[in-house]
Amino acid sequence: MTVHRRLHAIAVAAALLLLTLACAPACAHTGSMSGGFVGGLAHPLFGPDHVAAMVAVGLWGAFLGPPAIWLLPIVFPMVMAGGGVMGILGLAIPGVEIGIALSAVVLGLMVALAARPPLWIAAALVGVFAVFHGHAHGAELPPGADAVAYSVGFVVATGLLHLAGIAFGLLARWPAGRIAVRAAGAVIALAGVGFLSGMA
Amino acid sequence: MSGFLRALVLVLAWTQTARAHSPIVGVGGFYGGLLHPLLVPAHALSLLALGLFIGRQESRRGPTIIFAAALIAGLGAVALAVGPTPAGEILLADTAVVGALVALAFVPPRPVGWLAAAVTGAALGLDSPPEEISIELATIVLIGTGLGACMALALVIGLTSYLRRDWQRLAVRIIGSWIAASAMLVLAVRLTR
Repeated sequence: MTVHRRLHAIAVAAALLLLTLACAPACAHTGSMSGGFVGGLAHPLFGPDHVAAMVAVGLWGAFLGPPAIWLLPIVFPMVMAGGGVMGILGLAIPGVEIGIALSAVVLGLMVALAARPPLWIAAALVGVFAVFHGHAHGAELPPGADAVAYSVGFVVATGLLHLAGIAFGLLARWPAGRIAVRAAGAVIALAGVGFLSGMA
Repeated sequence: MSGFLRALVLVLAWTQTARAHSPIVGVGGFYGGLLHPLLVPAHALSLLALGLFIGRQESRRGPTIIFAAALIAGLGAVALAVGPTPAGEILLADTAVVGALVALAFVPPRPVGWLAAAVTGAALGLDSPPEEISIELATIVLIGTGLGACMALALVIGLTSYLRRDWQRLAVRIIGSWIAASAMLVLAVRLTR
């Protein structure tokens, strides 16, 4: 190593050390890591059952084509919020966790089997599962959280998962992509079986 | 040591503790009021919802004027030291309804739009009491708040009116549904905790 490179490495190390010294705990407005926009944004992403179901909704919407492709991501957050309100108000819904796991199984199977039911049936099916997901997340809302920022982050993350599913589902326009999308549906359904049995 | 590294070390030496949006150290008075509608998430959400809603209408001037008038009335009531009101909750409920109207791409009769604008303006004004003790300073903050809210609304309306393509209209509807969902959740939290 040349002298110049050594000096460069020392300078970088010094800069990093200064960065470490300069950093202080982030003063977010909630005083809690679980609160705020980032907390809400991260919450759905760290629940594999939620991720699987949301992506499946997007995949199925893309598979069904218009108008389902845009109807589902618009309707889902509002129906989910209805479930969330029930959770926050403490209104009990029996079998919420089973319902969430079932959502991955059923929606994954719909994609895997390339099912094309009438739109109202698809919307009703997705809506029922949205209530379960919303209820679980509403009941889990941390008490110290900045409710507005947390809720916005939570809803945006859910919407982005839908959009990710839709983006991947658009591959179904091509024969090879169609196989890939159906395979993804099968993986989600299998994961749902894992959630149901407690293996995942 | 390169110039870049020297600059980096200098910047790091001046680094201060990161802070969330409020309070903004050194920003108060008129400018604090000007930024207030943007820095209170519930207010920003309501302005975004109303802006998207009005921006999609053919007639935009009427609801905008009504919003401004209602906002001035609300801020005036605050200046006259009106007591505590449920303005925060009303604003959230109004935001949920307006967001849902945007999501459903429903164009209601004109009076419904006027009513939404009036409720948003009045509730936003009533929910913006300044923390200043001096009447003179509080008045300046309220004037800033009024201007900031009107400017933010005008900006969203203006931008939305340019979104004419199908995918842009779809994006507006998706944002509307996200706003409605967020407002519903927050309202439930407010009413229970």
